[in-house]
Amino acid sequence: MKRNRFWNWFWVFISLLYFFIPLYATFDFSLKARKGELSLLAYQQMIEDPRILRSLIFSTQIGVLTILLGLLLMVPTVYWVRLKAPRLRPVVEFISLLPFVVPAIVLVFGLIRVYSGGIFALTNTYVGTNFLLIAGYVIIGLPYLYRSIDAGMSAIDVVTLTEAAQSLGANWGTIMFRVIVPNLRSAMLGAAFLTLAIVLGEFTLATFLVGLKAFGPVIWQVGQNRAYEASALVIISFLITWILMGLINFVGRRGAEGSIAAGPR
Amino acid sequence: MSNNKFEMASGETHPKPSSPRKLSLSFSWVGVVPFILFAFMFLILPSMSLFVGSFQDSKGNFTLANIQGLFTPFILNAYWVTIRISLTTALMGGVIGFFLAYALVTGGMPSWVRSSLMTFCGVASNFAGVPLAQAFIFTLGRVGLLTVFLREVFGLDLYERGFNLYSYWGLSVTYLYFQLPLMVLVITPAIEGLRREWREAAENLGATPVQYWWHVGLPVLMPSLLGSMILLFGNSFGAYATALSLTGGLINLVTILIGSQIKGDVLHNPNLGYALALGMVVVMAVMMSIYYALRRRSEYWLKK
Amino acid sequence: MRTQKFVYSLLAMFVIAAVALSACGGGGAGAPSFDWSTAKSAADGGGLEALAEAAKAEGMLTTIALPHDWCNYGEVIETFKAKYGLNVNELNPDAGSGDEIEAVKANKENKGPQAPDVLDVGFGFGPQLVEEGITAPYKVETWDTIPADTKHPDGYWFGDYYGVLGFEVATDFVENVPRTWADLLKPEYKGKVALAGDPRTSNQAIQAVNAAALANGGSFEDPTPGLEFFKKLNEAGNFVPVIAKAATIASGETPIVIRWDYLALTDRDTFAGNPNIEFVIPEDGTPVAGVYLQGVSAYAPQPAAARLWQEFLYSDEGQLLWLKGYCHPIRYNDLVARNVIPADMAAKLPPAEDYARAVFPTVDQLAAAKTVVTENWDTVVGADVK
Repeated sequence: MKRNRFWNWFWVFISLLYFFIPLYATFDFSLKARKGELSLLAYQQMIEDPRILRSLIFSTQIGVLTILLGLLLMVPTVYWVRLKAPRLRPVVEFISLLPFVVPAIVLVFGLIRVYSGGIFALTNTYVGTNFLLIAGYVIIGLPYLYRSIDAGMSAIDVVTLTEAAQSLGANWGTIMFRVIVPNLRSAMLGAAFLTLAIVLGEFTLATFLVGLKAFGPVIWQVGQNRAYEASALVIISFLITWILMGLINFVGRRGAEGSIAAGPR
Repeated sequence: MSNNKFEMASGETHPKPSSPRKLSLSFSWVGVVPFILFAFMFLILPSMSLFVGSFQDSKGNFTLANIQGLFTPFILNAYWVTIRISLTTALMGGVIGFFLAYALVTGGMPSWVRSSLMTFCGVASNFAGVPLAQAFIFTLGRVGLLTVFLREVFGLDLYERGFNLYSYWGLSVTYLYFQLPLMVLVITPAIEGLRREWREAAENLGATPVQYWWHVGLPVLMPSLLGSMILLFGNSFGAYATALSLTGGLINLVTILIGSQIKGDVLHNPNLGYALALGMVVVMAVMMSIYYALRRRSEYWLKK
Repeated sequence: MRTQKFVYSLLAMFVIAAVALSACGGGGAGAPSFDWSTAKSAADGGGLEALAEAAKAEGMLTTIALPHDWCNYGEVIETFKAKYGLNVNELNPDAGSGDEIEAVKANKENKGPQAPDVLDVGFGFGPQLVEEGITAPYKVETWDTIPADTKHPDGYWFGDYYGVLGFEVATDFVENVPRTWADLLKPEYKGKVALAGDPRTSNQAIQAVNAAALANGGSFEDPTPGLEFFKKLNEAGNFVPVIAKAATIASGETPIVIRWDYLALTDRDTFAGNPNIEFVIPEDGTPVAGVYLQGVSAYAPQPAAARLWQEFLYSDEGQLLWLKGYCHPIRYNDLVARNVIPADMAAKLPPAEDYARAVFPTVDQLAAAKTVVTENWDTVVGADVK
């Protein structure tokens, strides 16, 4: 309907303005590194810093692993709750919202305390520490992971699909990976975006567990006293994160054909 | 095994699940074990110090002083302001986010517009803390780009007219920057579930758009809408760095109070900090109950 | 389905291992024959050379809360690394003193790279370090030249550097540089004066309130005149409630900031004229000096490296590196007396007379002031939003 078109574009336009003006203001400031003229000096100094690329790679790897672990944990859980144990839903939802109220610093010190001695001595090795970091990030991303996947599942009729698949003789693996998951693409992508953004920007867990190996602490360190470089770094990390998400989106949507739900609206 | 975890965690204030024992007949709780186990190992156990510490003093003796300390007017006001700003931004973000998401999903946008905006929302949803505060200072601060622009070009001096970025509303507008994208990302899958056929069918039966929404669209979406808004609420409730960087403690928020006690350059009473966090858990539990009650009513409609 | 998940988790662990190994570096505690964690001085273990060797065997040092632009710690760390061949693992440079203490406590059982070996905390935290057993006693070789009122007699903590508060002014945005506290109230500074922190979380900010108190007839025991000053500042519209950072100073949002001298002077160098920075120690009142403390963690996984770090910091070389960052090292008077400060470095510092008349609050005074300010900031200054 033509009327709708107007409102759609209206909302998109207003939102675009709202989102881009502050970014533009940051960008504008970052160009002022050389007094009185616009220059890319701040960006030059950023790109030449080797720590930034190294830490970006590390954090991206951690991010991907966090996404995988998070989805692996949550998709079956949400599915199960919807299908078999709806009464446990408030419990799962409440737990998923808890990370909002546990300050990151309490979480990281707690993780260190619990897993630094005895049989679970994870902090003494790099592998163990990285695993702890990933687990911590899954926890931090839990609210977003749960909500995205739950919203996605609400849009498909899990019960009917499962029954149909079972009546056709499918086992759980097939149901999960060939029936349910393909219909959750959009939700899983959303969850992946949110998780990656969190991991790349996160500071507290990273800085106490792995220090300057991760992107967040490096950004802090580099931008700490340097006004223009800090803004340049914000713009750069924004763009990089955006591109990474574009990649995930591309990879994720490539297999979007063949889903049972009707196509794009 | 069924109730062991909840017994171990008996020092906490989580609401216990209604009656898991009844389900053990059908082993239906088994599937959530991995999740509960993971959450226990990496969230609840490490946070135990939070709960235990709320009831201790700095020497480790049991005390209720921290909890009592929560009931000063100053701290209660902090809770109230935090709840208010969370509700405000959850509603604002929820409503605007919904319209934006709807526009993106059904508006017949070219797919590149949709993809790039969705991925942008992914990035923006976590754009918070110092960079976000600075971006808004650069835009709407006293010498911000937009402030100066409006003054020079339109003769409109925001600050003369009483606008102040460093205020409750300034902070809300800033929070919206991550609330809005979060809403978009989370509600989109649910909107995609709105079958086009339903709308066409409604039109064929002579329904106006308003009637469609009132009788079909909103009721179907309501559970997800509510779920998304509680997420936004929690997101805002736990936000710390943005508020600190923008208003420097001027606005009395619980997370800032916690930070000042635990980070402790000046004040250093981590036990009070833990008690404050415990209070936040309680508030969250209360909001969850309200949400759950609302959601049950909305889902009732959907049950066949 | 669950077996599949188990397999996937195993796979994930392998992937993690691969990732980790590729990013893996060196590090790990050695096993020196002498247990340096019991050493109260270098002599206990056979002298500085034995200490350096033991540290080298340990291979690394873990620090916390050391931003590179604070007192030139960047260069201090690099010099240490080059001189002794050790890796330095830097934890949270943004940590507050409370965070550092919590980090030591959380890592008591941990010998991994998350446990800090050494601490740099605010002066007021000295007693807590002893009470809670956070630090181990250690006296550096140059112990005797550290002023007595800035160190614990047994070496549980000792002052490392100090600075005084003043105004950091971005002269590009301010025509007349304010010279006194009273100046700040003038209408020409409307919307221009800021603190570098929240008085409840930042030591720097609370000292600013104390300094304002001293300039207006108050004292550390009674900082209310300081609160009143900020109330007036806020009512006049001169106070900007933003936490000032490099970006807000450079953009002109907070052109006048009450700051430690070393931070302001470092900013002056970093900005290199973009914008121009002038640092002013206000003429009225008494300059407030802030001392920070060093300590060796009682649970340090690398005890020899921790002690070597202290020896380095308190050597002339270390002290002068701090001075290069505009922080007055604690042995400043000794360095001056022995004439080891290069002339060009001395020329860059603010005039010595201002330091001579600076007041160094004691722990009790700090505690007293802290209580009054933090409890009354919101109500008196009235900048709180309901």
